[in-house]
Amino acid sequence: MNMKYKLKSISIAIGLLLVLAGCNDDNVLNLEPYNDISENAAFSTADLVALSVTGMYNGAQRGDYNGQGRGYPFGAAFVQQGDNRGEDVVNVATFYQLTYTGTYDPTTANNVFYWSDTYRMINRTNIVIEGVARALENGILTPEVAQIYTGEAKFLRAAGHLELLFHFARPYNDTPDASHLGVPYRDFAINSTETLAAAEAQGRNTVAECYQRIIQDLNDAEAALPAVGERADARQAITRATKEAAIAFKTRAYLHMRNWPMVIQEGVKLNSRFNLTDSPNGPFASGYGNTESIFSIENSAVNNPGVNAALASQYNRRGLVVISPIIWRNPAWLSDDLRRGEGTLVTTRSGVKYTNKYKDPVNYTDPSPVIRYAEVLLNMAEAYARTNATGNALTALNRVRNRSLADPATQAYVAADFATPAALVNAIITERRIEFVMEGRRWPDIHRLQKDDLAPIAGIPQKVANGTPPADSYTLGTAYNGPYGVNAIPYTDFKFLWPIPQQEINNNPTLAAQQNPGW
Amino acid sequence: MLLFSLSLAASAQQKTVTGTVTTATGMPLPGVSVVVKGTTTGTQTDFDGNYSISVESGQTLAFTYVGFKKSEITVGGQNQINATLEEDTEALDEVVVVGYGVQRKRDLTASISQVKGEDISNLVTPSFDQQLAGRAAGVQVTTQSGIIGETPRFRIRGIASITSGTYPLFVVDGVPIYTGDVGGYASTNALGDINPADIESIEILKDGSATAIYGSRAANGVVLITTKKGKEGRIATNYNLTTGFARPVNKFDLLGAADFVTISNEKRSNRGQSDWAAGTDFNTDWQDLVLNDNAFQQDHNLSFTGGTEFLKYYLSIGYTEQESIAKPNEFKRFTYRANLEQKIQDWVSVGVNAGLTQSEYFGLNTGTNSLSGNIFNATRQHPNVSPYDSNDPTGYNLDDTFPDRMGRGSNLETVGDNIPNIIFAIENNKYFSKINRLIGNVYADIKPVSSVNFRTQVSIDKANTNGFLFWSPIHGDGNGSNGRVQSNNNELTRWNWQNILSYNETFADAHNVSLTAVSEYQKERNQNFFATGTDLSNEFFGKALISGSYGVQGSGGGLTENGFISFAGRFNYNYKQRYYLQGTLRRDGLSSLPTTTRWGTFPGASFGWTVSNEEFLKNNDVVSDLKIRGSYGKVGNVSIGNYPYLGLYSPARYADNNGIAYSQFGNNNLRWETSIKYDAGLDLGLFQNRFTLTADYFINKTEDLILQVETPQSFGIPGNNYNANIGNIENSGLEFSATARLLDKEFKWEVSGNISFVDNEVITLVNGADRIGTNTIVREGEPINSIYGIRYYGTNPQNGNPVYYKADGTLVQGLLPGGSYAIFDPNNPSDVSQSSSLSAADDRVILGQSLPKYFGGFNSNMNYKNFDLGFLFRFSGGNKIFNATRRDLLNQNFTNNSTEILGRWQSVDNPGDGWTPRLYASTNTTTNLTALATSRFLEDGDFIKLDNITLGYTFPSEVVEKIGLSRFRLYLQGQNLWIITDYSGLDPEMESAGVDLNGTPRSSIFSFGLNVGF
Repeated sequence: MNMKYKLKSISIAIGLLLVLAGCNDDNVLNLEPYNDISENAAFSTADLVALSVTGMYNGAQRGDYNGQGRGYPFGAAFVQQGDNRGEDVVNVATFYQLTYTGTYDPTTANNVFYWSDTYRMINRTNIVIEGVARALENGILTPEVAQIYTGEAKFLRAAGHLELLFHFARPYNDTPDASHLGVPYRDFAINSTETLAAAEAQGRNTVAECYQRIIQDLNDAEAALPAVGERADARQAITRATKEAAIAFKTRAYLHMRNWPMVIQEGVKLNSRFNLTDSPNGPFASGYGNTESIFSIENSAVNNPGVNAALASQYNRRGLVVISPIIWRNPAWLSDDLRRGEGTLVTTRSGVKYTNKYKDPVNYTDPSPVIRYAEVLLNMAEAYARTNATGNALTALNRVRNRSLADPATQAYVAADFATPAALVNAIITERRIEFVMEGRRWPDIHRLQKDDLAPIAGIPQKVANGTPPADSYTLGTAYNGPYGVNAIPYTDFKFLWPIPQQEINNNPTLAAQQNPGW
Repeated sequence: MLLFSLSLAASAQQKTVTGTVTTATGMPLPGVSVVVKGTTTGTQTDFDGNYSISVESGQTLAFTYVGFKKSEITVGGQNQINATLEEDTEALDEVVVVGYGVQRKRDLTASISQVKGEDISNLVTPSFDQQLAGRAAGVQVTTQSGIIGETPRFRIRGIASITSGTYPLFVVDGVPIYTGDVGGYASTNALGDINPADIESIEILKDGSATAIYGSRAANGVVLITTKKGKEGRIATNYNLTTGFARPVNKFDLLGAADFVTISNEKRSNRGQSDWAAGTDFNTDWQDLVLNDNAFQQDHNLSFTGGTEFLKYYLSIGYTEQESIAKPNEFKRFTYRANLEQKIQDWVSVGVNAGLTQSEYFGLNTGTNSLSGNIFNATRQHPNVSPYDSNDPTGYNLDDTFPDRMGRGSNLETVGDNIPNIIFAIENNKYFSKINRLIGNVYADIKPVSSVNFRTQVSIDKANTNGFLFWSPIHGDGNGSNGRVQSNNNELTRWNWQNILSYNETFADAHNVSLTAVSEYQKERNQNFFATGTDLSNEFFGKALISGSYGVQGSGGGLTENGFISFAGRFNYNYKQRYYLQGTLRRDGLSSLPTTTRWGTFPGASFGWTVSNEEFLKNNDVVSDLKIRGSYGKVGNVSIGNYPYLGLYSPARYADNNGIAYSQFGNNNLRWETSIKYDAGLDLGLFQNRFTLTADYFINKTEDLILQVETPQSFGIPGNNYNANIGNIENSGLEFSATARLLDKEFKWEVSGNISFVDNEVITLVNGADRIGTNTIVREGEPINSIYGIRYYGTNPQNGNPVYYKADGTLVQGLLPGGSYAIFDPNNPSDVSQSSSLSAADDRVILGQSLPKYFGGFNSNMNYKNFDLGFLFRFSGGNKIFNATRRDLLNQNFTNNSTEILGRWQSVDNPGDGWTPRLYASTNTTTNLTALATSRFLEDGDFIKLDNITLGYTFPSEVVEKIGLSRFRLYLQGQNLWIITDYSGLDPEMESAGVDLNGTPRSSIFSFGLNVGF
């Protein structure tokens, strides 16, 4: 054996080994992610904190639906679920059938993700509140900026909990002091083993406690947030939380609390800060720049709830849900009302009425209208009516209705049209159904008007059968009186409420003991 | 002058030598390589062992033949040289590839199954893994659809994890390779990049002792693939061709136009609604339109192998083109392989094994719940309408009012679920993936002394996949966004460096000792990016991503890395090949775990007693081989993601505003998920191993399972889970395999068979809590993924309502139109007044186990004269399948149905089959209980299949030699031809976790092939 060659080869081999000895703990084992930021660094600079604040709105816009974004809770789902739980739309395909026909259970995706994604957004708000506080302590943020961020977080936290109360808890008036079960009001970040334990210890707050917390958060938000005019531009004035948005949400929350004076007290703060657009199509034709939209969720061509959730996809292009003949033929909705405007707010296909409020069926860039001034006016109108301030009530109601009338001079409501406060309140409720059809507001009204003294609704009303209604069922002239295909669900029936999801029951013993009765 | 003297010199010494090569017993040996040593001159012996070669005196002739010792004879004055080759018992002893080395099969104490490459190389298949089904005990491979590119399910001895990976580690020539889908928009199978014709053998490591040397990666077993290597001798050229046609194994029995109209209108009239369907001008078979009954497939392979004492080579090229039975699914593959080894000195050699592949997959939308999913859509389409419409500007039948839906034709409404015209999607949309793959290694073997070998090997697996997707703006999936184009690139790179030091020595002719020490470093870096365009300017721009041709552009991407460092050792000892002992130890550090728990230690041990080598059994006439084995091993699972323990924030944009949000809950206590594997086995050979039997009993306990611990949804934790080590699962079972050489005279007949019985039990879960899926459950004490749902009673004879059992055994009937339930009293069936309920939370029970309890195969090979006939039967059973496809085909919307619906309840006097409820339009949720599994659609999954059968004819060598060939064989072959099953769906193997839902039928293939040797 040639020793010289052998040594040479071995030395080459050793040289090779030395080159490869670059394989060591540091570059093979100690690897850090490139796609994600470590939680230790997430609130370490002002720029990163700002990103986390935007991330809360992402939670409001898209939710998580088995790994996809699907518009839970505020990007689309609140509209679709709020409509389909009521009788003023008809679900024509399978998409929202379980909601529409009341055949949901604790595993049904719609109600499960409503719960799950709303709390996902809420946890993001709590993470921001705590992260901002730390950043402020560390001198990373100025107090002014920190205050705005916290205000935004509290606004979204309140909005999220309010939305959950509509679906998972009985209305405020179910017990005289609202001492029945609401939802857990989560107000701390859950991101560690310790906070997991604390969260598990927390049961459902009472409805009264929840509303008290909602009002508290909205008051804080009002104080902390910039006014509409202080946002960077018209778009941000609508798509980021503002002082006015917090106030508007309070009128909604107080309406559900049946605290009529406070609805009025909050509502008047917005006098002259907002105006209805000239046309009822205004808030939809220019959703990101108008005088009426108070808070909407922003959607863009590349980032929206997608083909299976975006409002313009589901309601417009795919036509999965249509306006119900029940509301379409309601005699209070005048046949020449502008809100029936073909091509503006409605399209007719084969005689069936589709909404045209969501106008971009290709790129889905329409905003999701969370709250607009017309609602504040009708909230106030109802509060005035219920406190016998009939004149103010009529003024507010007519402000909304008149802009859509063909001839307000002759068609506008006058005091004489309403013999009783109940008649006036009923007219306001009907006006809400017309004005907000296919904007998801019907369910919260059904919810709060159970056992109402003036305009009661008994449970979930019966509905037109799932499927495309025949064209002739849209013929105006008479009120719709059948056929129906989906039975009413009485208020006493357990199905009036959505169940707490099975996943929660399986994993949270505290809430397992507090499932809505019957589920 | 110079030329002259050279030729003179040549003619002076050159002569022709002839001779015969025989075995020690005098049998002539055909095909022996005869080479003039140190030159490229060579020949082969003919059928009678004769050869003739031109040679000079003083040169040496080398005779080599597989399984025999090499013989070298120096040419003297003689003109005839006969050679006798002695059998090489060392070589004849079958060798089995083990982790980081080879062992003689008879020295094996671990449980390893071997499949020879030749057994599968002629089958028509997109990837070799599919063809391992039925061939090895304990190995279960299930091809779940006819889509080429979908990765078959591969299980070795059950399911070892609940939420981590359950796919085995695949190692090609020592390179741990990427598996699964490697990117693009058409489904891809990373194992499809390996040309089956290049495979010499496949070893499946099953027990702890065999797999412990792979430590952290071995929880799901290890599959070792060894490619063909060069052999010393004259160049051998082989060309193989297979060409054939595939067709769907089966299709659904759907309603024709007339029945469709009757059923559709009955759905409506029962509900008091107007007719849906009208007209029977067409009778379209939509399945025929989306499936291909004559899918053309061809496969060409050309290889060159040979070598000298110094350089050995195996070179091959392959081309495969396979149309799938689903339009327009297609697969094209080019493969190149070069395996070379050069001896530099007696004690050092270097080599390279490299495979380069380009695979192209043309896919489609197969979404089982997708409006444009091929089967979902085709089975729903109305048979009484035409797919085409010459009056429509597109030429397709699209609805006039709703052009995004299928045209309604003479029907009164559009098709249910608003589905589009599937033919448009199939003929216009594109899904494409192209993989460029390099799997290769470079190594050096250094043998300073005969008992020591050092190998260092640097390997790479690089898969670069490009994808393209186009959705036409005109109709279908792309209609909403006015068209869509997407392009992506997925680059997977894995480096691996292994150093293996081995030592082999025999002491005192009795003590055989071997030692192996391994160090291994691996790092992978996986990067992808994509670009999308929607709102296309024109459908013309659908061939690629074209700048400026679309209104909305999107892009994205990501980068991940992981790595590990390992040190391992193996010690083998046997005493006179009677008493065996093997110990292995591996220490792995993994980047995916926190620093404190990063390193794991994985020991393995086994023993064996070869009873037949004891004096009292030696030379026994009956028992030729008897060995008892036992093993233990602890291994880990690295399929846990890249950074499962870190608390993370990920990009989360709000419309077009940048943001980040909480994306992963951190757990710094995360540690290794480990499997402990026990095995006890027996190998028995009788009558000179004419009959052999191998039996194994195994237990695999997976502990510290990394489970995604579910957190309550109201906590708002990302994904509602975090990773923690909670849970245990156990697989145990029995495996038997047997072979028999029934006839070995002129008529040769060999059979082999295997059967495995596997039990799976979930031992512990987080807080003992069930993990409930849509149709399945993971529950302590039960097999994983048991089917979980409502028990079905049948229909109410009085009114046709579906009747179910509540958990307490009482009966309830679903009231139509739905959503409510009433107590069902068999004695008073017309009473629907007593309200009741059916609850997903309380009334579901375990309906059956989704894992087969037994499975196996039976293989036969016969040779008579020049004919050969082989076949493989496979079987499996003991499992239940929830046939959700069947439920879909009984849809109460305005869609077509299966003929099963003809058995519906119509009246008290005509109650139908007692199983199918009254028709009632748009009531799927109650009529068919679409949200939950029910026993109404639960079926046995037992089957026996004729997996393949081949009839071949090899032309006599005296005939083929005349045309310059050494071998010429023709064969006819059928695959997946015949099935015996009671399962009513297309194929009981088309289930995933026990659920059959709208899969594309598997294919049967008829083919013709030839093997030519030069």
